[in-house]
Amino acid sequence: MQPETRQKIEALFEQYPEKRGALLPAIYLVQAEQGWVSAEQAEALAELFDLKPIDVWEVLTFYNMFYTSPQGRHHVYVCTNLPCSLRGARGLLKQIEAHLGIRAGQTTEDGRVTLGHEECLGSCGTAPVLRVDGRYCENVDAQEARRLVDALE
Amino acid sequence: MPRVKIDGTEYEVEDGRTILQALDDLGLLMNGVDVPHYCWHPKLPVDGSCRLCQVEVDDIPKLQIACNTPIRDGMEVRTQSDRVADARRGVMELLLVNHPLDCPICDQAGECKLQDYAFDYGVKHARTRDPRRPAQKAVELGPEIVFDQERCILCRRCVRFCRDVTGTAELGVFQRGDESLLETFPGKPLDNAYSMNVADICPVGALTTRDFRFKIRVWFLDDVDSVCNQCSNGCNISAGRAHNNVYRFTPRRNDDVNDTWMCDAGRLSYPALREGRLETAQLRGRSVAFNEAVAAAGAALRETREAGGRIVGIGSPFAPNEDLFTLRELLGAVGAGPGLFSVPLGAGDDILIKPEKAPNAAGARALGFVESGDVGDAALAIVLGHAAAGDALSSVENVILIDTHDSALASRAMVALPARTFAERAGTFTNHAKRVQRFLPFLEPRFEAWAEGDILTRLAASAGLDTDAWDVNAVSKRLSQEVPAFEGIDLDSVGDRGLELR
Amino acid sequence: MITTPQITGYLSEHYAADANHTLAGYERAGGFKAVKKALKMKPADVADLVKESGLRGRGGAGFVAGLKWTFMPEKSDRMKVLVCNADESEPGSFKDRLIMERGPFAILEGILIAAWATGAEKTFIYVRGEYALPIERLRAAVDEMRAQGYLGTKLFGKKGFDHEIVVHSGAGAYICGEETGLLESLEGKKGQPRKKPPFPAQYGAFGLPTTVNNVETFAHVPYIVDRGVEWFRGFGTERSPGTTLFGVSGHVERPGLFELPLGTPLRELIEHAGGCRGGRAIKAVIPGGVSMPVLPPSDLDVGMADELLTERGTHLGTGGIMVMDETTCMVRAACVISYFFRDESCGQCTQCREGTGWINKICRRIEAGRGSDDDLALLDSVPAMMEGGTICAFADAAAWPIQGLMRHFRADFEAHVREQKCPFPESFEL
Repeated sequence: MQPETRQKIEALFEQYPEKRGALLPAIYLVQAEQGWVSAEQAEALAELFDLKPIDVWEVLTFYNMFYTSPQGRHHVYVCTNLPCSLRGARGLLKQIEAHLGIRAGQTTEDGRVTLGHEECLGSCGTAPVLRVDGRYCENVDAQEARRLVDALE
Repeated sequence: MPRVKIDGTEYEVEDGRTILQALDDLGLLMNGVDVPHYCWHPKLPVDGSCRLCQVEVDDIPKLQIACNTPIRDGMEVRTQSDRVADARRGVMELLLVNHPLDCPICDQAGECKLQDYAFDYGVKHARTRDPRRPAQKAVELGPEIVFDQERCILCRRCVRFCRDVTGTAELGVFQRGDESLLETFPGKPLDNAYSMNVADICPVGALTTRDFRFKIRVWFLDDVDSVCNQCSNGCNISAGRAHNNVYRFTPRRNDDVNDTWMCDAGRLSYPALREGRLETAQLRGRSVAFNEAVAAAGAALRETREAGGRIVGIGSPFAPNEDLFTLRELLGAVGAGPGLFSVPLGAGDDILIKPEKAPNAAGARALGFVESGDVGDAALAIVLGHAAAGDALSSVENVILIDTHDSALASRAMVALPARTFAERAGTFTNHAKRVQRFLPFLEPRFEAWAEGDILTRLAASAGLDTDAWDVNAVSKRLSQEVPAFEGIDLDSVGDRGLELR
Repeated sequence: MITTPQITGYLSEHYAADANHTLAGYERAGGFKAVKKALKMKPADVADLVKESGLRGRGGAGFVAGLKWTFMPEKSDRMKVLVCNADESEPGSFKDRLIMERGPFAILEGILIAAWATGAEKTFIYVRGEYALPIERLRAAVDEMRAQGYLGTKLFGKKGFDHEIVVHSGAGAYICGEETGLLESLEGKKGQPRKKPPFPAQYGAFGLPTTVNNVETFAHVPYIVDRGVEWFRGFGTERSPGTTLFGVSGHVERPGLFELPLGTPLRELIEHAGGCRGGRAIKAVIPGGVSMPVLPPSDLDVGMADELLTERGTHLGTGGIMVMDETTCMVRAACVISYFFRDESCGQCTQCREGTGWINKICRRIEAGRGSDDDLALLDSVPAMMEGGTICAFADAAAWPIQGLMRHFRADFEAHVREQKCPFPESFEL
């Protein structure tokens, strides 16, 4: 864990009645260092929070937005829940899979893109929706999806 | 104290107890009142997730989990209604959705709660034809525990044990939903002084001990009440025996001593009951018949006494109370001073393990033995167990050693006489908290050996002293009558939970 | 960015200008009048007023908000806490996101009023982690308020009225929308719901007395305080007053949000959304997010209020309406829905952990043309085995949609079993 990350985390403690409340925000900060959280980083977090490493690892693996293995430089997620599926999201996902040559859950060989599908993103009125590096892209069709994916470096 | 009606019978229970705790307190749980359960354990925090212990409470529309429902005065609980039976059937069927049907090759068969409850409360025919959740087989979680992940029903007893009892927190449940898996932190094994307890509390065949795994089917074992002799805590144990062999020690519940736990070292101490034993009587390092050795020792004792030589007795914190009492009587009869003893020390913790690495140091103290190794100018020493004797004995010409295990002292002693271990006879130990606890025999000796007290009595007779044949029950009675601290405490009265010294 | 509502009401009337998310914009539109008014009242009277307004929680369960506030202990030697549930994750629901993006100050003002009514000193807004823009706008709004002296101590000149707000990001888990799952997550743990008792009002966030309300619920509060109970009750039904932001999605011409009174007929809402796409006939409508049982077209006359939907065997939930046209394979819908619940079950309770996975496997098998009559029987019985016996209502939420589909669209399932294939070639892709 980098010293700046640690400082940022320590600054969060006062917002919560108990230090542990800052764990989720802290994991985001640690994850920002290399895009995922390693066992060593989890242990460092545990120490900082007076927790057992297993506490941190349980939390890391429970939530979809935390990663415990290396990820692509960019994340592309397609919502495949019902409102999006009704408007063609699964077909869209298959086209992106074909375009990138990987399946959802995989990362391109060059480490450029990790592709995934997600549960409802709360954008049902503008379905289908993609989440590209945390940004919502709404009313996306196949052409737009290709453009979005190709624009990632 | 609140009163509660359970299945039509009224009980008075302690304040603040849940339904399951109250049933457990009353000794009725699964023993008169059947409320099957997986995640609940009397010595662990409530989890409330297996949902098997649902019962009807008053007229609350939803069934309530008995493990997390505090009893209120006047509450009425129904544990056997049709609705309860339906709920149990549902939970049982769902638990089996991802559980392999591999009982014939599962080591837990015979003591598996999933098997038992499926039989008692489950559906008779599996309705699922789907493949089970993929999971790993025979994962070595640590030095002592093997994990068959596919059998795990995620009750999290082991997780709570490692968090709340040992505080080591090696186990956790990762992921979520039906992908939830019990695991350790990457690269951190399940390795603590109590790790093997997780195999006891695992209700299914997911966690097994490397030591016992596939050794024998449990239905061939019968369990004998005993007491662990590895430290002064005196954890209550069951010895699982078959065909004059012991296959495992498991903790036996005693809320005043060890709850439902024991340490791994104690659990793994059973092989020593058969290894390294003193198997034949020794006369100056030469194997002789038992009686010949006793006669030689008796003669030496008589001669020393007649010559006015000083006699010293060295007791052992490994010897039972009854045998120490016999030694005390013998020392009195020959005009020797109080017996000596010493206790091996080691590390302790604040869970169960005590620094005194012997089961009966408190008994020795209560019987007037003095913690000292100073034998002075003794001409003859009667020694129970080599572990208790120090180098000081090198100055003593005649050492009469009565011992369970072989040692350098046995070959050096004038006479060494094979004694029975606590596994081979009944008796009592007094633990660190002055609790006198009984152990019963579960092995037959494979060679001629007798209880230390018995040997002492033969020795006394041989030395011309007036004695009756040694009988542990008779000695125990006499001890309870003659030593005030033991008043009313004998082999019978201590029962299977023990009694505190007065 | 989300599109503005196609029909607006008091909540959303200023959203189109996209200036309402600044403090200046909000105050121009009359913001922070209500909290000043509330501060002239006794806290208990504020709670009473909100109770009398009949405002029901807009997070799905529909509990009377003012009543919930009164569960907070009046006197407490420990800090009291409010939590704003902004973990909107119910498929079909996207209203809270809009409120946070376009009208964050109404939420924050509602929070301050609730803080006055309950004596809470701190609020945590738990926003689902995917909602990057709502988090950004809420944080900016909180910062502006602090700079303006609307957060901190002695607020609006009222001695003893201190409050702080923390915007907290979740990390991707539907179950954190469940009140106690949220509290666990807020405490830095897995979002696994707590067994009750104890209830949050006694033992909530960090063990402190806590009241949890949904985003939209808070957002209504300033309007109720400012304009009065009678005005509020002028919208909606007797039991369900006020407006709500209905989301309409799926097979409609113009999906989106519509702020309309509770009780508005379902058919009318679908018409506002342009009706079923391509002039096709409607096959099914889910009225309140995927957790709620589906309705057949014969029920489109129902008013969108919980007490009216209950009569039709379903619930208002979060008011997320999903329309499915005549091409739709309801077994596919069951596959998507059951996968969601399988993926999002926290995994604690047996029935939920195992039942959600099992149902999904059965649905997939039937959809793939490998189902049997036994599978149909299982879809009849497994949801019932899951219902009503778990720590939280998630298992119910997973069971109900399957029960609804089996009740109204059993024929679709039977046809798959009979023909050993999906008989709906034009259905949405799986």
